[in-house]
Amino acid sequence: MHRRTFLQGLGAAAVFGSMPFASRLSWAASPGAVSVDSLPPLVGDLTLYLGRGEGGLYENVLEAIQKRNPKLNLRIRRGGSAALANTIVAEAKAGVKRADLFWAVDTGSVGLVTDQQLAKPLPSDLTGQLKSGFQYPGWTPVTGRVRTLPYNTERVQPDAIPDDIMALADSDLAIGWAPAYASFQSFVTAMRLLEGNKATANWLRGVNRNAKKYAGELGVVMGVERGEVDLGFANHYYTLRLKSGKPDANVDLAFTKNDAGCLVNASGILALSDGDLPVNFMRYLLSREVQSYLATEAYEIPLVEGVAPPQGLPAMDTLSPPDIDLRKLADLRPTLNIMRDVGVL
Amino acid sequence: MLKVSNLCVNYGATRVVDNLNIELDHDEILMLVGPTGCGKTTILQALAGLIPISDGAIELGRWRATPQKMVPPEKRHVGMVFQDFALFPHMTVADNVCFRLKDTSLADHWLELLGMEQFRDAKPGQLSGGQKQRVALARTLAHEPAFVLLDEPLSNLDAALKDSLRWEIRGALKEAGVPAIWVTHDQEEALSVGDRVGILNKGVLDQIDTPETCYATPASRFVARFLGEASFLPAVLHDGNAKTDIGEVPGTPVNGASGAVDILVRPDDLSLVSHSDAANSTVDWERYEGESRLYAVTLDNGTQMKVRVSHENALQPGERAKLELTTTHPLAAFAKEA
Amino acid sequence: MTRWPKPYPLAFLIAVLALLPVGVLIELAADSASLFDSHNLRVLGNTLALMVLTIIGAVLIGVPLALFTAYVQLPFKRLWLILLAAPLALPSYIGAFAMYFSFGRGGEIESLTGIPMFSVSGLWGTALVMSLYTYPFVMMTTRASLLSLDGSLINAARLLGQSLWVSLWRVVLPRVRTSIAAGALLAALYALSDFGTPAIMGLDTFTRVIFVEYNAFGLSQAAMLSLQLMVIVALVLFLESRVAGASERPGKHLLLWPSRWQYSAMLVAAMPVVLLAVVLPLAVFMTWLAREGTGGFEWQFAWNSAYASVLAAIVAIICALPVAYAALAGKAGRLMERITYFGFGVPGIVMGTALVYLGLQLPMLYQTLALLVVAYVLRFLPLAVGSVRTTAEKLDSGLVNAARVLGASPREAYLRITLPLTLRGMVAGAALVFLEAMRELPATLMLGPTGYETLATYMWRVYEAGYFGRAAVPGLLLVLLSGIGLMLMLSGERRAEFTLSEDGGR
Repeated sequence: MHRRTFLQGLGAAAVFGSMPFASRLSWAASPGAVSVDSLPPLVGDLTLYLGRGEGGLYENVLEAIQKRNPKLNLRIRRGGSAALANTIVAEAKAGVKRADLFWAVDTGSVGLVTDQQLAKPLPSDLTGQLKSGFQYPGWTPVTGRVRTLPYNTERVQPDAIPDDIMALADSDLAIGWAPAYASFQSFVTAMRLLEGNKATANWLRGVNRNAKKYAGELGVVMGVERGEVDLGFANHYYTLRLKSGKPDANVDLAFTKNDAGCLVNASGILALSDGDLPVNFMRYLLSREVQSYLATEAYEIPLVEGVAPPQGLPAMDTLSPPDIDLRKLADLRPTLNIMRDVGVL
Repeated sequence: MLKVSNLCVNYGATRVVDNLNIELDHDEILMLVGPTGCGKTTILQALAGLIPISDGAIELGRWRATPQKMVPPEKRHVGMVFQDFALFPHMTVADNVCFRLKDTSLADHWLELLGMEQFRDAKPGQLSGGQKQRVALARTLAHEPAFVLLDEPLSNLDAALKDSLRWEIRGALKEAGVPAIWVTHDQEEALSVGDRVGILNKGVLDQIDTPETCYATPASRFVARFLGEASFLPAVLHDGNAKTDIGEVPGTPVNGASGAVDILVRPDDLSLVSHSDAANSTVDWERYEGESRLYAVTLDNGTQMKVRVSHENALQPGERAKLELTTTHPLAAFAKEA
Repeated sequence: MTRWPKPYPLAFLIAVLALLPVGVLIELAADSASLFDSHNLRVLGNTLALMVLTIIGAVLIGVPLALFTAYVQLPFKRLWLILLAAPLALPSYIGAFAMYFSFGRGGEIESLTGIPMFSVSGLWGTALVMSLYTYPFVMMTTRASLLSLDGSLINAARLLGQSLWVSLWRVVLPRVRTSIAAGALLAALYALSDFGTPAIMGLDTFTRVIFVEYNAFGLSQAAMLSLQLMVIVALVLFLESRVAGASERPGKHLLLWPSRWQYSAMLVAAMPVVLLAVVLPLAVFMTWLAREGTGGFEWQFAWNSAYASVLAAIVAIICALPVAYAALAGKAGRLMERITYFGFGVPGIVMGTALVYLGLQLPMLYQTLALLVVAYVLRFLPLAVGSVRTTAEKLDSGLVNAARVLGASPREAYLRITLPLTLRGMVAGAALVFLEAMRELPATLMLGPTGYETLATYMWRVYEAGYFGRAAVPGLLLVLLSGIGLMLMLSGERRAEFTLSEDGGR
C-alpha cells in the first residue's frame, strides 16, 4: 500500500494543491449526471468518517467541495473502512452518534453499517442517478473497481493466463501479490464465500509456492512491469495509472471469469443523520465533475449514468463479475485467520 | 513568660521527651545540653509547634498549646535559629531578614549589629558558614520573637569561629532582651554561655540550674560525667566531712547520701607530684594539652583518677607518684552504686 | 502522629484514577471469547523475540559507547555525547518511517544512488530500529554508573600488570552490571510498548495486533491482548525494581587519553549508529522537503499537537504535586506514587483501548480533547511526579519550618518558599510531559476528536496513504522538538527518566 503512491506522489502533485471545480473539471461534461453548478450550497456542521485507501484523491475531492462551500464546517475522521464501520456500530450500541456520513472504500464496510439499520433512507432522485444495478435505498456507491491480473507483456502471452482464478494455484507462473493489502483481503473473502474456506486455504498455499510478496498493489504492478514476476493480483486502476505515466509499460490487464478474480467492488457512502445536508453532500460526490475527476485522475469506474469510464478499461458489460452480495465481504476475520494459518500474512 | 509543664513527646510508641518542666525568665538564656539522641532537638520542635506533643502544655503570654489544642508555629511568636541556618536560597540576605517585615528598620539594625550590612544583596549561597549564621540570627531577631530557640547554631562551623560567634550570639540575645533556649551537645558551650543549664538524659531533664551548681553539685553521676572529666573516689561521709585514702575534704551529699559514698573529683581538685617515698599511685597515661597535662593515675586502692597539672610537671607512664586532694570547696558525694 | 498527611486524599484519588485503565481493561476482557490461541502464541513469540533482540542490540551498542563517552577524553566531548544520546529523544517511529522508505526496492537510497538496497522490515528491521533508538538507555545508565566508579580500581589493576581491556572486562564491567541491566530493561520496556515501529515495519507484536483488533472493534479481544501485554510489562517492571542501581561511593573517575588516531577510530566506529539513527531521518526529511515542499501540511497540525500537549503538561503537573508531596510524607504516600507510575508501563495503545471504551460509557467524554488529555496525563504523569519529587526531595524541610516560625501560614510558606524552590522541577516535568505528548501516536489516533490532526497522526496518515513526501515538515518538526527535549535532559536539570529506575530498588 505504501510505495504505490511513489508515482502518484509525483504525478498527482500538480492536482493536489487546489482543484478549481468548474474550470478544471467541467470539460468532462456528459449528459445524465448533474453538474455541481446546479447543486444547493452546503451550510453547517458535518462529520464525515472517511475510510482511507484512496486517501489522496478523495482528499482532493473533499478539499474542492470544502472550497466551494465555505460555510460548510466539514470534520473528517480517517481510519480503515472496516474500523470505521465497526466504530459506528459500537458507537450506536453505546448510544453515541458522532458521524453524519460514512464514506467507505469497500462495500463490505457499508454492509456492516446498513445491516444494523443505522443508515438513513435516501431520496429516489439521488439513487436514480446511478446506473441500474447500483441503486440502493440506504446507501449509494460512488465509484467501482475491478480485481484484475496485471501481466508482463514480454514474459507472458495473454492466452497462457487461465481465465479461472482457482487454476492459478496450479500454474507455474511467477506471481506477485500484496497479502496485507485490504483489497486483496476482500478478494480472498469473496473467494472464501464462493469456494469455501478449505479451497481458499489450498489456493493460498498453491499460489504461495511461486509468489513474491509486495507491500501494496502499486508495488505488485511495478514488479510485474519490471519483470520481477509474470503476473500479479491488483485493483484495475494501478495498472491504468502506471500506464498513463508510462504509455510503453510492459504491462497489460487480464480478467478471469465468474469468480473472485474479477470481483467488482465499490466505494460507497451513507448517511447516519437525517436532514438535507448529508444528502446534499452526497449529491456533490455523484456530480458530473467529481465522477469525471475520479474516472480521469484515479481511473476509478464512475457509477453515475452518463459519465465516461476511464480509458484503457474494457467496457463493463464485457466483464463477468461473480454473483456475490458485496456486503458480506465485511466478514474479514475468518479470512485473516486462514491467511495467517497458511502463513502468507 | 515561657512555661512548659509536664511536656511529653512520643514518636510512635517511643517516648522521646518525658515530663519536661521549664520556666524561663524574661531575658534568660537556658542551655539545653545532652548527648546525641537525648531529645533536645525534639523539645525545640515541640516548642516551635513543628511536631505534635503527646502530653502536657506549653504556654507563652496569650497562647497555650496542649495535645488537644495545637497552636500552629506562625501563631507562637517564636524565633528559631537552625543548625543548618535554613536561609531561603532564592532570596537575598535582605529579603531573608525582612521575610515578613513591613517595617525594615529592625532588619537594618540587626544586619548592622551583626556586621552583615555589606552583604544585603548577596544570596545565601555566596556566604560563609559564619555569615550565614549571622544572617539567620538577624532574621530571627528582626521578627521580634517572644522567645528564641537555637538548635545547635554553632555545630556546622569551624572551631575558631565557634568561640567568637558564641559570644556574639549571646550579646545579641541579651541586647534583644528575649528569653532563649539554646540546644547544644557541647558542654563547654553550655557552661559558658547559659544563664542556666539543663542536662537531658534520654528525654528526661536530669538537672536544671546555674552552670556552677550543675558543674559542682551535679544531680546525678550522668550529669557529673557529661559536664566534664569526672572521677569517683570512695569515701566515708560523716558530718559534712568526706574521708578518703588521699585526704579529707568537705562533702555535700547528693540525694541524702551518707556513710560509704563516692565523691566527685574533678581533675583540678587534685595535685600530683613525682614522689617516690610517699607515692600512693601509678601513672597510666599522659595527655599533653599545651598549658596543662592531663594524667590518668591508678591509686593503690584500685581507683583510676584523672588529674590536670601544670605543663611543667612531666611524669612518665608507669612512674610512681603522689596524688593528693587539694581542694577546699565541698565535693558532691553520691551513694555507692549498687 | 495519627494525622493523615494533607496531600494524601488528593494523591489517593489520583492513584485510583491511574488504576482506572486497568480496571476498564479487566471489565472489557471479561467478555472476550478466547483467552489464548495459536495466533496469540505467534504474537507472543514475535514480541518476546523483538524484546530479546532489542536488549541484545541495545547492550551491544550501548555499553561500548558508555565506556567511550565516560572515559575517553577527546575534543568536543560534549557534542559527541549529545549526538550519541540523541536517538533517545527521537520517537522511534520517525526512524522506522525514514528507514522504511529509504531502504529496499524503490526506496530513497536506491532512487538517489541507483544502488539496489536490501529492505529493512519484519522482525530484524524492527529490532534494528528499536536497538538504534533504545541503546541510549543502556549508554546513559551505564555511563552514569561508570562515572561514579572509582577509577583507581582500573589503575590498580593495570599497575598489577593487567592490560586496559582485560581490566575493563574484569574489574569494571562486573561492577556496572546492574546498571547495564537497568538500561536494558528500560529498552525492553520501550520495545514492548512501542506501537509505531512494529506497525510500520510490519511485525505482528502485541501493540500492532491490539491496533488491528481495535480497528475491527474487537474491543474485548483488544483488551485481552492488552492485559497479556501488561503482564509482560509488569514482569519487566518487577525485574527492573529488583535491579538496584549501583551504589558505589563516587571516587575519582578514570580518564583515558588516547592518541588522535585511536579516538578517531573509535568515533568512526560509532558513526554508523549516529548515521542511521539521526542523520538518515534528517536527510530523508530534508530530501522530501526539497523535492515536494511543504504541500499538504498545515500549521494547524502543529498547533493541535501543542495545544493538547500544553493542556496535558499543566494538568499533569497539577496532579503530580499532591502525589509527589504524598510520596515524601510517608509510606502510604509512596505506595500511591508507585501506583501512578503504573501508567508509564501502560503502552499508549492499551491506554487508548481502555479510554475508548470508557468514552463510549461516558458519551460526554467520547472523542473529546478532554479524554485525550486524560490519556496523556495518565501515561506521562510519572515523568512529572519524578521531576517534582526530585526537586521537592532536595528541598530542605527546615526552610518551610523556618518560614512557619517566622510567622508564615502554611499557605504563605508554600507560596513563598516551597513553590519558588520547586518551580524548576515543575517546569522541567511539564516540559517532559509536553514533549512526550507531542510525540505520542497510538492513543492520539484512537482518542483524538474528529478532525483533530496532530503532527504524529499526520505522519501516520501520510504513512498509510503512502504520500511519504509529505512527512517532511512534521518529521522535521518532531525531530526539532526532540532536540529540545534532549537539551532539557542533558542540562542536568532533570534525571527523571533515570531516577525512575534508580528508586525502583528502594
